Amino acid sequence: MRSSSRTILVYGLMLACVTVCCSRQAAIPRTADGRPDLQGIWQVRNRASYNLEDHVARHGMPAGTGVVQGGPIPYQEWAAKRKIENAANRQNDPLANCYLPGVPRIMYMEFPFQIFQTPDHIAMTFEWSQVHRTVYTNGVPAPEGIDFWMGDSRGRWEGDTLVVEVSDHNDRTWFDMAGNFHSEELTLVERYTMVNADTIQYEVTITDPKVFTRPWTIAMMLHRSEAARIFEYQCQAEAEEANGAFEPDPKTWYPGPGAPVTIPAEWKGDTGESAWKPPARKGAIRRMPDGKPDLQGYYMPDGGGGNYGLGKHEQDFLTPGGRGIIVDPPDGILPMQAWAKLEAEDRKTPERGYDDPTAHCFVAGVPRSMYVPSPLQILQPPGHLVILHERMSWRTIPLDGRPHLPDHIRLWQGDSIGRWEGDTLVVDTANLNGKTWLNEVGEIVSHAERVVERFTPIDADTIHYEATVTDPLVYTRPWTIALPLNRQKDELLEVACHEDNQDLAHLKDIRDAARAKRRK
Amino acid sequence: MRTRRVALFLVATIAAIVLPAAAHHSFSAEYDSAKPLKMSGKVTEMRWANPHAWIYIDVVGKDGKAVNWAWETGGANALYRRGWRKEDLVAGTMIVIDGFQARNGSRTANATSITFPDGRKLFAGSSSQNPATK
Repeated sequence: MRSSSRTILVYGLMLACVTVCCSRQAAIPRTADGRPDLQGIWQVRNRASYNLEDHVARHGMPAGTGVVQGGPIPYQEWAAKRKIENAANRQNDPLANCYLPGVPRIMYMEFPFQIFQTPDHIAMTFEWSQVHRTVYTNGVPAPEGIDFWMGDSRGRWEGDTLVVEVSDHNDRTWFDMAGNFHSEELTLVERYTMVNADTIQYEVTITDPKVFTRPWTIAMMLHRSEAARIFEYQCQAEAEEANGAFEPDPKTWYPGPGAPVTIPAEWKGDTGESAWKPPARKGAIRRMPDGKPDLQGYYMPDGGGGNYGLGKHEQDFLTPGGRGIIVDPPDGILPMQAWAKLEAEDRKTPERGYDDPTAHCFVAGVPRSMYVPSPLQILQPPGHLVILHERMSWRTIPLDGRPHLPDHIRLWQGDSIGRWEGDTLVVDTANLNGKTWLNEVGEIVSHAERVVERFTPIDADTIHYEATVTDPLVYTRPWTIALPLNRQKDELLEVACHEDNQDLAHLKDIRDAARAKRRK
Repeated sequence: MRTRRVALFLVATIAAIVLPAAAHHSFSAEYDSAKPLKMSGKVTEMRWANPHAWIYIDVVGKDGKAVNWAWETGGANALYRRGWRKEDLVAGTMIVIDGFQARNGSRTANATSITFPDGRKLFAGSSSQNPATK
C-alpha cells in the first residue's frame, strides 16, 4: 500500500516535471538572445473594441463578454456621465472619423498586426491604416514635452514577460466604441506573456487619476494568425473613395487601361540582371552577427527636392527647388509618354493640388515614401527588413524568397520582397494600386508600376538608395533615381496627419471654384 | 524660462538651415503668390499639430476691430526637433508675421517668417527652401 502510493507520487512528480519543462521549453519560441519570440501575425478573438465591458448587441455592435478584471470600470462621478454621453454619440468615436485609435485600443481591434523583434526595438505594424508602434527596449527614456495619439512605449523584460510602459498620450482617443475614455494623464503598463507558441496573454493596467478612482486592468489573449502577411485597411482613403471626396483616376488606377500589362521586351535594366554596379564604398560598414550589412537605424533621406519634382528644377513660389535625383536616363529628365506629360502639366495646376493623395494624408507609396522630407526607421529582425515611416506608414519586406501576391491584389504600398546581392539589399515591389503620385507637382505612376530598390551601405552612417521604376503605361523606358539616406541620432515621433489636416478644405475650395468657373 | 527661450531661438536659427520642413501638400497650390501679406498682431492661440502647426493672431484693423487670422507653419515635429515646446509661444505675445494668403480668400496664410518685438526672427518652417533661411 505504501509502496504503491509512493510509486504514484513519483510518477506524478515526473509527469508534473515533464509538463512544466515542456511548456517552458518546447512550447515557446525564443529569439537568438533567449527572449520569448513574439514575432508573427496576431489578432484578438473578442469584442473588446466594441465595449471593454459585458454588452449585448446594438446596431453595428455585436455582443461580447467583457475583458475588464474585477468589476466595472471605476469612473469618477463626472467621468461616468461623460462616458454615457459618449456612448450616445458614437459619431464622435475617433475611429468613426478614421483617427488614430491609440493604445491599447489598436491592440484589440478586429484587424491583425505583426510583431517584429530586435534586441533594441519591438515594432508592431497594424493592418489598420498602416499604423505602427515602436517599443524601445534599449533603455532610452521617453521624450518629454510632447504627446502622441499612440503614446510613447518603453519596454523591458521581466523574466519571460515583456513589460511596456506607455506614456505621453493625448486626450483624444477612446478605449472602445462604447465611449470608454481617458484623459492626457493616462499611463499604461502592458504585459505580454507567451502561454504557448500561438498565444500571448495580454494584460494592461490603466491609470488615469483625472478620470478613474483607481487603476484597473484588462486581460485577453492574442492569437497567432495563419495568414502569411497582412494587407492594408486605409480607413480614411476607403471612406473618401466611398463618399466621393477622393475621386478615382481611371488613367492610373488598377485595373485601368492596359491591364494586364506586359513589359516591352526591349526594356532592360529593371530587374537587376543588367550591368548594375554597386556604388563606391567610402568607409567601413556595420554588419549583423550573420555578416550581412546592418542597415538598422534612424535615417533622414536627403531627397534632393524629389517631392517637388524628380528632375533638376528651380524654386517656384512656395515649391522648393531640387538638385535632380534622376540618374538614368542620363539627361535627368523623366521619360514620360506624351499623354503623361500633358497629365503631369495639368496636375501641377492649383486646382489639382487637392488630388495629390498625400494632401489627403494618404500614404506616399513607393518610391515616394523614401524621398518625402520625413524620417524613417529601419529594423532588421530575422528574415525581414522593416521600414517605419514617421508619416504613419510602414513597409515590411520579407527576405525569404516568397513569390509576390496574386496580381489582382493591389495595395497603396505594394508587395515588397527583398534579397541580398552581395552587400546590397534588392527590394522588388509589385502589386501597386496606381493611386499614388510621385510628388506634389503631379509626376505620374500607374498600376503598371514595378519598382526595384537597392539599399547599399557605403559607410557606417550612409545608405546609397536607388530605385528603378518600370511603368510601361506612363513611360517610354525604365528610369532610376538615387539619393542618400543619412543616419542620425534621433527617434521617430508621430505624424498624425488627417486628424488635424486643415489644408485639404482650402485645396477643395480652390478645386471647386475652378470647376464652377469652367461650368459657366 | 526666458533664458531657455533665448537658447531655443539660437537652436532654431541653426537648425532651420539643415532641417527640411515636411510639407504634405502643395503650398503653391494652396497659397497665392499675388497676395503677399505682412501683419502684426497678438497671438491668440498656437495650435500644436501635425502635419502643420497653426498660429492664430488678432490683427486690429483701421476701424479698431480685431480680426483673427490663421497662419500655417511647419509641423509640430519639426518645431519640437528645433527645440520648441507647446508652451513656448504663449497667447498675448506680439509678433510680426509675413507670408502669403490662401487662394480661397479665407483669413488663412502661409508663414514665411515670424519676427518678435525685439527683432529676433523665427523661421516658420512652412517651405523647405524659404528665402528667409538662406
